[in-house]
Amino acid sequence: MIFYIFMPVLLLITVIVQTTILDLFTFGLFSMEISLVIAIYAGFHLDTLRGGLLSLALGFFLDCLAGAIFGLYAFLYLLIFFLAHIVADRVYREKPALVASFTALCALLKGLAIVVFYHSFFGADILSALPKIYLPQAVVLGALSPLLFKLFHRFGVFLHAEDTQPAQRI
Amino acid sequence: MLIPRKYQSIAVAAILLIVSLTMLSYGTARLSETGFVRKIVLEAAAPIQDAINIPLQSLYNGWNRYLFLVGLEDENRRLGRLNAALTAQLNLYREEHLEAERLRKLLALKGNFPQRAVAARVIDRARAPLFKTLLIDKGTVDGLQAGRPVLSDQGVVGRIIEASWHASRVLLLTDEQSNIDGMIQRSRAQGILQGAGAAGCSLKYIPRTEEVLEGDAVLTSGLTGIFPKGLLLGVVTVVSGGNGGLFQKIEVAPAVDFDRLEEVLVLTPDVKPKP
Repeated sequence: MIFYIFMPVLLLITVIVQTTILDLFTFGLFSMEISLVIAIYAGFHLDTLRGGLLSLALGFFLDCLAGAIFGLYAFLYLLIFFLAHIVADRVYREKPALVASFTALCALLKGLAIVVFYHSFFGADILSALPKIYLPQAVVLGALSPLLFKLFHRFGVFLHAEDTQPAQRI
Repeated sequence: MLIPRKYQSIAVAAILLIVSLTMLSYGTARLSETGFVRKIVLEAAAPIQDAINIPLQSLYNGWNRYLFLVGLEDENRRLGRLNAALTAQLNLYREEHLEAERLRKLLALKGNFPQRAVAARVIDRARAPLFKTLLIDKGTVDGLQAGRPVLSDQGVVGRIIEASWHASRVLLLTDEQSNIDGMIQRSRAQGILQGAGAAGCSLKYIPRTEEVLEGDAVLTSGLTGIFPKGLLLGVVTVVSGGNGGLFQKIEVAPAVDFDRLEEVLVLTPDVKPKP
């Protein structure tokens, strides 16, 4: 239960911190999207309901605070979550190289999806954003993701601690 | 539970996807509208963003100020150098503008005479108290020769006393050796304007019967043929009876400020061809 109570607040704070503080470290070149790594982590470690809700909420907050088109991040984050969820059952998900490469791939796919979406709906030609923005973002997020996964794991243990029921005496 | 456990995950995924697609279609259809839930999120986020941004902004400003101070000394030096260079450039332009103004006046004067006039630059001034001369940068090569009148836009400067190929010496009308035929403009009384050194000039041989007033203009009379008639020589400053003699004692201040003279016009003997 604690998950559903604290999750929205924590996710909102995460997105705020991401859009205000973390983006400073990249000097405005690209966005340090920790939220994307969280969605992938959720795909690897959480069930469909929890992870799906978490990804949807993350995307929704990002849409509210930093998105130009409402619903785009929510949709993409949900897709990334499902992709990670499908992959998680078929690979050894604790391997740092896999985590890093999968995160980088997801970041690139997300960038490509945004470019395609803008091109299809608005006729905007932002293909140059792929090598300029999304490629460095994918590299940085990929490199950071194993470390972030460890951090999320510790935090996840703390969140689940109160949900676990003590074994009943027989 | 209505849905079998086996299909629950698929059902949840489908519902979430439908929700997200609904949000996206709503977002693309109404780009400019802010929905109610979105407004709540923005309202909730604003104070947190503000709380984060205040110290962040202070930090950012502090860092910027530090960087600014680090660069300030270099910037100051650079601006100092730039200022010196621009001041020098400005002075040059100002100087050239003033020179152009003076030359324009000389050019206007040049058209008043039938003779060919040569513009020359003053390159030296004799500092000795007795000899009041100037050195100009034109000589016999340019058609100048001894005795030729030298003028400025203010009036008569003097005459050439010696000329080499590319330089000439000009005897100023204030030199005691200088004698120029002159007349009072108002009364047309004629006399000789003689140099008096530091005192300026004195107009001689004006009879006591002629009325001369302070402030009267003294012009060249054109009698000797060296100076054209009607050029301004100076202005009467003092008039006295001359201790019972035949002539009055008249002091004249030269029209030309010799200390500030930079360009002059010399009239040559050649007559300009008529257009």
